[in-house]
Order: sequence, then structure tokens, then C-alpha cells
Amino acid sequence: MENNNTMGLIFSGNPEVNLGELMKVRSLAAVPVGGRYRIIDFMLSNMVNSGIVNVGITTGYKHRSLSDHLGSGKAWDMARKQNGLFILSPPENLDITPRTLEGIDFIDSAMSYLNRSRQEYVMLSDCNTICNIDFDEVIKFHFEKEADITVVCAEAGELTPKELSKNIMLETEEDGRVSDIQVYPKKQNSNLAYMHIFFIKKDFLIDLVGDCLAHDKHSISKDILLANVEKRRIYAYKYEGYRKTIDSIKSFYQFNLELLNSDIRHEVFGTDDSRSIHTKVKDSVPTKYGRDAEVKNSFVADGCCIEGRVENCIIFRGVKIGKNSVVKNSIIMQNSRIMDGCCVENAIFDKEVILCNGKKLVGQITYPLCIGKRTIV
Amino acid sequence: MKSKECVAMILAGGQGSRLGILTKDVAKPAVPFGGKYRIIDFPLSNCTHSGITTVGVLTQYQPLELNTYIGNGQPWDLDRNDGGVYVLPPYVSAEKGEWYKGTANAIYQNIGFISRFDPEYVVILSGDHIYKMDYSKMIKAHKKANAAATIAVIEVPWEEAPRFGIMNTDDEMNIVEFEEKPQNPKSNLASMGVYVFNWALLKKYLIADENDPKSDNDFGKNIIPKMLGDGNRMLAYKFDGYWKDVGTIQSLWEANMNLLSDNPGYMLDDDDWKIFSRNPAMPPHYLAPEARVKNCYITEGCEIMGDVENSVIFEGVIIEEGAVVRDSVIFPCAHIGKGAVVSKTMIGTNAFIGEGAEIGSESDDAVTDFYNTKICSDGITLIAPEITIENGVKIGVCSMVTQNVKQGTGKKADTDTATA
Repeated sequence: MENNNTMGLIFSGNPEVNLGELMKVRSLAAVPVGGRYRIIDFMLSNMVNSGIVNVGITTGYKHRSLSDHLGSGKAWDMARKQNGLFILSPPENLDITPRTLEGIDFIDSAMSYLNRSRQEYVMLSDCNTICNIDFDEVIKFHFEKEADITVVCAEAGELTPKELSKNIMLETEEDGRVSDIQVYPKKQNSNLAYMHIFFIKKDFLIDLVGDCLAHDKHSISKDILLANVEKRRIYAYKYEGYRKTIDSIKSFYQFNLELLNSDIRHEVFGTDDSRSIHTKVKDSVPTKYGRDAEVKNSFVADGCCIEGRVENCIIFRGVKIGKNSVVKNSIIMQNSRIMDGCCVENAIFDKEVILCNGKKLVGQITYPLCIGKRTIV
Repeated sequence: MKSKECVAMILAGGQGSRLGILTKDVAKPAVPFGGKYRIIDFPLSNCTHSGITTVGVLTQYQPLELNTYIGNGQPWDLDRNDGGVYVLPPYVSAEKGEWYKGTANAIYQNIGFISRFDPEYVVILSGDHIYKMDYSKMIKAHKKANAAATIAVIEVPWEEAPRFGIMNTDDEMNIVEFEEKPQNPKSNLASMGVYVFNWALLKKYLIADENDPKSDNDFGKNIIPKMLGDGNRMLAYKFDGYWKDVGTIQSLWEANMNLLSDNPGYMLDDDDWKIFSRNPAMPPHYLAPEARVKNCYITEGCEIMGDVENSVIFEGVIIEEGAVVRDSVIFPCAHIGKGAVVSKTMIGTNAFIGEGAEIGSESDDAVTDFYNTKICSDGITLIAPEITIENGVKIGVCSMVTQNVKQGTGKKADTDTATA
């Protein structure tokens, strides 16, 4: 059933995340991942699969590739007369403001879209947490608890100081009501990490945003959530499934390779059709394996032509790997070409990279080598 | 309605009875091909690339799956405000209603549809061939020659010519004679079932043909010979690409295997002339550490743990550990159990092959109850869609299995039960 009373807002960027070479030509949401997807596909599909069919996506710099990818929203079944997909234009002051714009600025830039939409509730989410979540459950939880805001969180396990410095930790009472929020703490006091997803009544959100901006406050976590912990009923919905936040080259590399684990793969992509992840369709041909191909433990998209040896790799659409080449522990993006007799290990190739005959490129498993878009080696 | 220069009509109502169980519940144009396509993707994509954006698809036999597949035509860019793709089943009108009696009658019954677009030319296509062709070039040749009709022809080997409709032409490629399946062919130019007609003229002939009670209402048998007999200028347009009629199990299997050859005769992987299809939303395919894949075509959603060689694997297929698949075509979402052996077989959509089963087995104790060399020639075995072959069952080569096969079926198993 469609959730006629909830709209979605997804933030396509995150000023705190830098994926280096991969974000030189595109925004975070448009970074290719998992063989045929872009980061945005996961959260957008989650929304659509949960019946949230009016979704806005905020944009910032370099939004060409994101707009190109999303198009009319048809691939997500979101090209509609009523509701559908809205690619919002960047905030007007994106270029002139002396400070980095934050979450609330982006909500503000979506204000006319929020006002014009008929839905009474909004699900807001970052794009870079990969999970397969049923928002219906979150919404049900929200009304059960009669909450003002419901935040989605997950068990964090023990975090290193470095990880802790990127996490927002929640403390809750027994019934799930949030009693404390610690933004980037030095010391771990709680096992619950906020997943940068929250559910709220639209009018309430609009009031809060107006009030924050009037007081020159811009951070969602500090000024909307933390500031209201005591005044309002904020509840934490605990998500139990697999999740991975992509916030560095390392976590990007890890997430891709984790897809080689069948349990994780089945969970992320959903085993039944109602939870599948959608993406732009390219009508590539099936992948062709040559007579000498030797491919093990790899995740391969359509349109490839593989004649060499491939192990523990994520191969995107239209990749060609020549004879006598060996590719291990690597992520090779769309239309890249590894010619004959090459050796590639622990590397990330952005789109359309060409590696000429006999070249060798080896990174470290803990520090993969990242080759930028259209590089010819 | 804006008038269109050209409207294409795809004849997609045929049963394709020689494809046996594959076309029991679906029309031939909806039969899967090449890892992610249906046969009808080829003429539909050709239309789009040739700039023909008004396409009627004439359906009749088992149309449900084909209609669903075509839908609004969006995968082929044929969801247009003006024109686009139309599915045209036979219908009942005030005076009468009847099935499409023949290819010409099918077009006759849709004169109203075509006339709405007031086209100059009509392109008639059949929905059961694999080829990539630019119809716009053919229309250009048709216009240049000022012909009444143009028929696409392809050179076939002389020994195969008696199987086709053969066009005898003069030096300027004007058709002088048409022979349907001639015993002693005078030419090896076979009709591809692709025609361009001047609509005004064709309409006249269709009406006259309909009023002739002796006519079979068929293009090849009636309309073409009649037009030729009346002295109309008819051009043969020679096509020299790959063209394959996939009317039999053997030719369908061969056409799939052609894709794996070093020189398949045409480029499926061609960005300028992509064959579009309705894509399922499935993740890339996964090859496990114990997988072995050589010379095959594999598409999205598959999980391969076994050993696959010289095969075409459609979306969502699971091939478990130790399973061996050779020279086969596995249709969408089929499941091959652990240690099963599949040789030179076409396995239908959603079929389930149990652990240790052998399909296309030449063993003496294999089940031969489904032996059917009429459909399954050339040593090909065929497993129907949605069928379960239980663990350990051996299915003999050249079988067409149309029902579930339980454990204990087969000769050896019988003796086992007897001794027990």
C-alpha cells in the first residue's frame, strides 16, 4: 500500500564526507557502488518500497551526474502525475556563503517543495547509509509511541575513538524514548548510533527549521534533535539489519567487498521483489565470459567481457578484462578497460579508466589505490 | 491524429508449435532469447532505431504474457504521446468478430487502426526472427525505386532454399517470380518476412483478398503473388547481416549458441543499436569461489556456484555447487541443484532440477518416457517451465519433459524398488 501521508526528503550530499577521487566529478549520492548502482539507489528504493512515493532529493555542487542518473524517476516507478521524484535545486546561497551549508540549510532550500506537498509527515534521510529498511515499521513505531520525532538508530558495538568522532550516539529509556544525544563524543557511553534518518510531522519540521535559522543554527543533529531531547518526545527506532555508512574511501571499498558475502548481499538487495533495489536501466547485454576466463568470488554486472582472471572483485557494467590479466580485490567501474597481461590488485578504478597492455597496479588492502575517471595508464 | 509517414505492424500471433512446450502458455515472440531478451525485442528495437515510432503488435495466440511484456512500450522508447506501440488482438465489431484467419487478414482487420495515422507506407514484420536491421534504409530504397512493395531478402545456402519463400529477381532486383518452398529453387534469395508496402495500394489488395472466399488470406501465398501478377513494381531489398528464424527448438538453441561463438555474425553489444528489453530489477550476478565459468553468457541476478561452459544463462538462475552445465540454455529463475549435470538442454523458466539429477543423459538407465525427437531434434533436451525434476532423476537425451518427474522414475530405479 502506498503511504499517502508521508513524503521523503533525501540529502544527496554530506559536507563531512569526502571520497576523494570518486567525488571529484560527482556528488556523494551519485558515487557508483555495488556493480550497477549509485549510492542514492538504496535509500530511494527503500522509500519507494515502503510506499513513500513523493520524494525530494536535495542537491549541491556537481549534481549533473546525479540528475542524469535519476532522470524522470522512471526506474524507481516515480515518474508520476501526482507525487513522484523531485530533484531540488541547490540552495541559492550555495556559492556565496562563507560557511559550509548544513542540513537545515538544505531543508530550507526544499521549503517550497515541502509546503506544496500534500503529505502531513516527512521521512528525512542521508543517502550514504546503505541498508534495506522498511519505513512502514518506523512510521508504525512513531504513532505507537505518540512521538514528536522518531530517529532511526542501530547497535554500534564497540567503536574506536576515530569512529566515535563520526558518530552521533543515543541514550534511551526502556520504552525507547531518547534521553540523551551525544554528537561526536570522545568517550562511548552508549551502544546506539543514530543512522541519520528521522520521521517528523511536516508542520513541526517547518516550524523548527524557521526557528533554527532565525537563531543562526544550522545543524540537524544539534539544533533539531539535541535541542529538543527534553522538550519533545523523541523516540529511537532500532533497526536490526545490515547497514554500512559510506564516509571514506576505506568504507566504500569495504562495503563493496562485503557484497561478496552471500548473506549480506541477499539482505542488502532483498530476496523478494518487494524489497529490491532499483537503478537506472542501461539495456546492457549479458556478460560474456571467454574460453580462458577464470572468475571466482566476484560480483559482476551486465555488459562485461571477461577473458582473464578475476578474484574477489566488484565489476561494473561494460567492463572489459583482457587475456592473461589478473584482477584481485578490486572495484572496477563502468566501461573501464583492462587490456591484456595486466595485473591489478587492491584497486578502485573509476569509470572509463584504460589500463594498457602489461601494466601493473597494486594497492594495499588497507589502503586501496584509487584511479580517477577516464585515466589512461 | 497527426499523420505518420510510416507505420509498422508486427505479426506476433503465431503459436510456434515447433517450439513444443516452450510455447504452450506463451506466444512465440515472447519466448526468451540470448540471456535477457524476448524474441520480439528485436523487431521492436529495430523499429525504434529506424525511427518508426508507431507500431502495432498483432497478437492472438496466448497473448497474456506478450501483452504484459510489451505494456506501454516504455522499454523500447515506444511510449509516445503521438503513436507509440499498440497491442492489437482480434476484436468483435457490430457486424461480426473473428480470429485472425491469416497474416493478410490480420492486417485487414486493422485497416481502421492504420488509417488513423494516414501513413504513406506500412512495414509488415514478423515477430519471430533474430536480426538487427535498419528499416529506414529499406524504405529509402523502396522510395527511390518507386516500388509498390519491397521485400527484404537474404541469401541462404542453396541446400536450405527449399525451406523458404524464394524471390526470383531480374538484374535490377525487381522481383519477377515468387516461389513458396520450391523443390528446385532458381535463386537463393529468401524472404525475411519484412515487407514495405504503399499503404493505399495494400489496402486495396487486402480488401480484394478478403472478398475472395478461396484465399488463405496470407501475404506469402496470396497478396504477394497477386500483386506480382498484376504487374506492380516489386523490389527485393538485399540484407546482408545476420538473420535467424528461431522457429524450432534446434534453431533456437543454435541462435543462442551463436552468441558464444567468436564471430556471432552481429554485435549484440553495440551502443548504437542496442536491443532494448524489459529489465528486471536484479543485482549483478555472483560467482562463488568454487564457480567455474568458460565461454558463457550470464546476466543479472544469477548465483553461480557450479561449473558452466558454453551456455547462456538468463536472469535469476541459481546453479549450485558441483553442478555441471554444458552447451545449455537456462531460462529465467531456474534452479539447478547440487551436483546435477545438464547437457545440451534448454531449461524452462522457474524449472527446478534436483540434486544429482542428470538432464540430457545418455546413460542406459535414464528416463525415456518423454522421448520426443519431433520437437527435440539434434540431441537437444527440453525441460518445460515450472517443472520439478527430483533429486537423482536421469532424463534421457532428446526428451521434452512436460510434467514433474519424481524420484524413482526410470529403469534402474524400478529394479531398485523391486529388490527392496
